[in-house]
Amino acid sequence: MDADSFIQTQDLTKVYASGPVELRALSDVTLSVAHGRFVGVTGASGSGKSTLMNLLGGLDTPSSGSICVAGKPISDLSGSDLARFRRNTVGMIFQSFNLVPSYSALENVAFPLLFADVPKPKRIERAAELLQTVGLEPRKDHRPSELSGGEQQRVAIARALINRPQILLADEPTGNLDSKTSQQIVQMLHDLHANQGLTIVMISHEEDLLRTFADELICLQDGALTAHEILRAAS
Amino acid sequence: MRTSDYLDQAWSNLRKKRLRTFLTTSGVVIGIGALVCMFAFGQGVQQNIRAQFDELELFNYINVSLRNRPTPQPAHADPDAPGVETEPAESAVAPDKRVDVLDDAFLDEVTRIDGVQAAFPEMRFPAQIHLSGEERFTLIQVVTAKACQSELVQLRAGKPYASDDPNEVVISDTLLRRLGNRKPETAVGQDIDIRTITLDFSLTSLFRMAFARGDQRLPVSNKRYPFKIVGVVERMGFGGPMPIRSDVFIPPAAAARMRKLVLTSMSDFFEPPERLADYSTITIKVASPTDVAPVKKQLEQRGLRTFALMDQLQEMQKGFIIMDMFLLAVGMIGITVASLGIMNTMVMSILERYREIGIMKAVGATDGDVQKIFLFESGMIGFFGGLFGLALAWVVSLIINAVVNSFASREGVPYIHYFNFPWWLCLGAIAFSILISLTAGVYPTLRAARVDPVVALRHD
Repeated sequence: MDADSFIQTQDLTKVYASGPVELRALSDVTLSVAHGRFVGVTGASGSGKSTLMNLLGGLDTPSSGSICVAGKPISDLSGSDLARFRRNTVGMIFQSFNLVPSYSALENVAFPLLFADVPKPKRIERAAELLQTVGLEPRKDHRPSELSGGEQQRVAIARALINRPQILLADEPTGNLDSKTSQQIVQMLHDLHANQGLTIVMISHEEDLLRTFADELICLQDGALTAHEILRAAS
Repeated sequence: MRTSDYLDQAWSNLRKKRLRTFLTTSGVVIGIGALVCMFAFGQGVQQNIRAQFDELELFNYINVSLRNRPTPQPAHADPDAPGVETEPAESAVAPDKRVDVLDDAFLDEVTRIDGVQAAFPEMRFPAQIHLSGEERFTLIQVVTAKACQSELVQLRAGKPYASDDPNEVVISDTLLRRLGNRKPETAVGQDIDIRTITLDFSLTSLFRMAFARGDQRLPVSNKRYPFKIVGVVERMGFGGPMPIRSDVFIPPAAAARMRKLVLTSMSDFFEPPERLADYSTITIKVASPTDVAPVKKQLEQRGLRTFALMDQLQEMQKGFIIMDMFLLAVGMIGITVASLGIMNTMVMSILERYREIGIMKAVGATDGDVQKIFLFESGMIGFFGGLFGLALAWVVSLIINAVVNSFASREGVPYIHYFNFPWWLCLGAIAFSILISLTAGVYPTLRAARVDPVVALRHD
């Protein structure tokens, strides 16, 4: 394994079996990403982008191959260790925001701390701070249905940051947003990366957007890694 | 997660679906309410019986009768089994000690035994009474003047008869109420007629039956005896089996002058009516239940057959357990239905919150966290179901008590608490409700824990 790698996959394969039919979602993907990089992942629908994201985030387990993130061999971790990894090391952002509809913005942001044994007053305090960071403090008591798409995604970003993760995984974060809001959201991610040194892996089918903000660009096609382009060298 | 967070989560999730929570909890409330009501009723019955036994000191009594012809005990019979009439073996009784007649002399002798407080003949017979223009069929009990003057008979008005001889009676307040008289003092001094019935199966009677015509074919005779009421005994709401439970009490000598059908033993049916000097059964009252065994032993050594309710205590307790089990089984029907309701609610809740479970897992919840969140919810339904079920049972018990007692009071029965809610029943009901709810929640929570976050979060 590369000593500088923060994210390293080796022959990563994911096969979904549906009866006698096997779907190879990801095939022998080997990649290496250094700490503090903003990596864009692009590809057509069904190319395996989301599968890669789920595997890196510890939501799914590979059929074969290995993954190592922040020094943790997550492909070998047990279910509860994977949960701890998701809680402490990774922050995830989704295309459809995945906020709890019955919770307010503040409660949604504070939600991950519930599983980290943090007392309620501290949860609220930290969530309020993060909402202020993403510019939504005045809307903290609003439910997701009362927020715009961009606002919901900002709440999701605040939630992803609440456990002070080392890596942020964003799966099509702009997929449900208009172009202006998309720009704002990616800019926000870029700022986090620039200011806090966060490692970010962002999936998008908008290659131009990725080329504007990302340091590296990974292209997937039919589950295979077809290109790993360095757009900006590490400083 | 902290316990306070689990509780907080459960409470807020249940509050979000108020109607569903209300309906599901209502099912538990009714189930637990019915169960507690039945159990409390069973407890009430047991408490009332025990209290009545204690109040009437029924465990302090021994019934004594003459031994029948010796009957061989079957090989498998347990001589120590409770509740069986104890019959001593023929050979165990010394001839000079054997008692062949239960008469007044024996009554005097028995009262001298250590621990014996009183002894009186156990004799009842059915009769028609005629008082203030009303007629009633009732049981007449023969009570000696001595027993009548003792604390065994608590008088509400008048006084006990002075001796065993006069044609005087003491009647119960309950009987007076049934006859429409609610002022016992006005009954004292009134005349009362007792009309007895006799079945005469003596040989001469049978001979007469065989060759008789018309209504003489039946060996029945009845005769009217005038008496005077001297006292009214305090009402008894929950009359035990012994010793004084009849409505009319008369002195032995007056009873002896009457032709009547005595119901203390089946053998009395076949005795000639003239055989009235001896008693077939006498009742002995001892000072405390601990005196029962030694007194019984002394009497059995004299060849007498004894029966004490004390011996049946264990059998009675078995009966109570069986009654509790039966009530529990009936009550469990409601609980089973309620637990299915909880299971349904939890499964529905998990289906609705499928994506939320995916989010929980994505942000770091373990399978155990997810499982506990839902278990706390079902447990909370159980807790509130148990709490309000208990309240429902209590309210129902108040209503039933009020309704039944209002009817019973017209019959002269004092107020009775038909339900008893001991602390262990209250706590047990809530604990049981939580346990049942948790059990009902096991399958749904396992299902929740198995939710695959990738599937749950898949973009629609």
